[in-house]
Amino acid sequence: MTFWQTRLGSIALALVFCFSLDQFALHQNSFIQRLVVLAGLYVTLAVSLNLINGITGQFSIGHAAFYQVGAYTTGSLAGAFFNKAHLPGPAWLILMMFAGAIGASLAGLLVGLPSLRLKGDYLAIVTLGFGEIIRIVVQNQKALGGAYGLTIAPRFQAIWLVWLLAILCISVSRNLLKTAHGLPFLAVREDEVASSAMGVNVTSVKVTAFLIGSAFAGAAGALLAHFEGFISPAMFTMDVSFIIVTMVVLGGTGSITGAALSAVLLFYLPEKMRDLSDLHLSTIVAVGICLVIAVASIKRLMDHFHGEPRKRAGFMAGVVMGAVVLVPILGALLNNFDPLKTSVEGSKLRLVVFAVTLIVLMLLRPQGVFAHHEFSWAWVRKLFRGTVKAPEGVA
Amino acid sequence: MSLLQLDKATIKFGGLIAVNEVTFQLNKGDLFGLIGPNGAGKTTCFNLITGVYRPTSGEILLNGSSICGNPPNQIARLGIARTFQNIRLFKALSVLENVVVGGFLRHKTGLGSALAFLPPAIEETKRLRADAMDLLRIVSLDHVADIRSADLSYGMQRRLEIARAMATQPQLLLLDEPAAGMNPQEKEELNGMVKKIRDEQGMTVLLIEHDMRFVMSLCERIVVLDHGEEIAQGPPSEIRNDPKVIAAYLGEAV
Repeated sequence: MTFWQTRLGSIALALVFCFSLDQFALHQNSFIQRLVVLAGLYVTLAVSLNLINGITGQFSIGHAAFYQVGAYTTGSLAGAFFNKAHLPGPAWLILMMFAGAIGASLAGLLVGLPSLRLKGDYLAIVTLGFGEIIRIVVQNQKALGGAYGLTIAPRFQAIWLVWLLAILCISVSRNLLKTAHGLPFLAVREDEVASSAMGVNVTSVKVTAFLIGSAFAGAAGALLAHFEGFISPAMFTMDVSFIIVTMVVLGGTGSITGAALSAVLLFYLPEKMRDLSDLHLSTIVAVGICLVIAVASIKRLMDHFHGEPRKRAGFMAGVVMGAVVLVPILGALLNNFDPLKTSVEGSKLRLVVFAVTLIVLMLLRPQGVFAHHEFSWAWVRKLFRGTVKAPEGVA
Repeated sequence: MSLLQLDKATIKFGGLIAVNEVTFQLNKGDLFGLIGPNGAGKTTCFNLITGVYRPTSGEILLNGSSICGNPPNQIARLGIARTFQNIRLFKALSVLENVVVGGFLRHKTGLGSALAFLPPAIEETKRLRADAMDLLRIVSLDHVADIRSADLSYGMQRRLEIARAMATQPQLLLLDEPAAGMNPQEKEELNGMVKKIRDEQGMTVLLIEHDMRFVMSLCERIVVLDHGEEIAQGPPSEIRNDPKVIAAYLGEAV
């Protein structure tokens, strides 16, 4: 197959995926539609932040600010120009995506420039502050609706475009890492002094990463604004930034597929838990106890047992199964105590479960689920084949 | 005209004069040694040449024009590459990728082409990887090209740093203690390798080294620093018998 055949094939595949998702969601209720859209936007946000945090190693925790800049840029443009433009919906949306991207990348340039001299914690503080400044400035602008928010006249349910953006973001990151041009970004993450000795302009690499990352967040913001039809500063608080950072860290800093998958999971999990029915307090306590035991034993296993990977996985599965068996027994025992007989509304537990999941994962796998690996078939095969034999002469 | 010329290069950190009016010149094709006891200012000299520090006074000339005040990445572009005393590899990257980073200055296609994964960028990546593989063969690391560079043994890491520096295709290669931590056999191999790099690649080499036997057998000319001052200069045979050098290393005769 020639290059262009492969290229057109993959583009067609992406389009087919996006449109079938669109068709699937159209037949669902509006809650599911919202979930599909927001999940797509979070994938874009997480993967674009991964470009800054994971690949280039700049710890930015103000990604919601770029999201917001994109949303407000297009929000005000829509208010001023939509009726005059006479464009069909999709064309207008794509135009707005570019507008949001440009607005946000200008903001990214603004944050990228001070990041030339700042590293690690200091950069984190600057980006955090920047995020809050943007939010509070918008909150106090009458022209932008202030704290009441801004209503956007044309609303579009372009689920396909949301996921197309997510796929575009993933492919851009992937392309960067597949070519020699991505290596300077990784090199800056690893060692700035050595990179500059290799002729890499560290400053321009960092600024480029901020530009690309914030452009995608801005485009996502534009789609959010047109999907919701309403934006307010309360939608872009620090929490949003932190959730995006959590997605990147949990997926494995630097891993594109890790960021994308954990974005879907971390977004879906708390929403799915709204459906939980009432639970007995005794069950919850039993789950808690079993969780602590399981985590402790798995951690011990991982620290002290360096056997065959398959055997190790077997032991872990054993521990998990043991915990699952233990939960109902322990729950029944605990139910004999009066204070534990009360029942708790299941949906109230969603944030607790969210937090516990994060703690457990960070305890067991601090490098993130995917670490720096990418999900690929070669990787799956390697996992099943066991350890790879090291060539001779390697310490 | 000499390739590199230090003309009374001086740097002061507060009251401390780390390098004081050091003057020497390298001609094209030289194998030049920079030696001296610990704290003599050798690595500081390298940092001055590569733009990490800017000299307080004096000049550093490359092919007759001053390079003072250029940032390190610009100096790499002008044709000076270096290795580091405390190895600074890109640890999470593979051995091959480390060397490909060194090819950054030879990128012809833009970032846009790479982001869109267009044929020019793909071709360039292939070419740079092939070039990197050739360099790995020179330092005989081609059999571990896909290993994470942090997993290499110490001697291999040092050799990889040399290959990475060579990937920028410099006119002048600065090696900061390339033989540190190597066993005698590895040192012997390194000796032949550096000579080969000079003879076959036509690079000029300036190296810092503590191992006297290694320096004396490899370098054609040597500069000796002590407390930031230049105390001797000349071919190894002269340096070996220079009373000042002996005094600096072993102390004065009583």
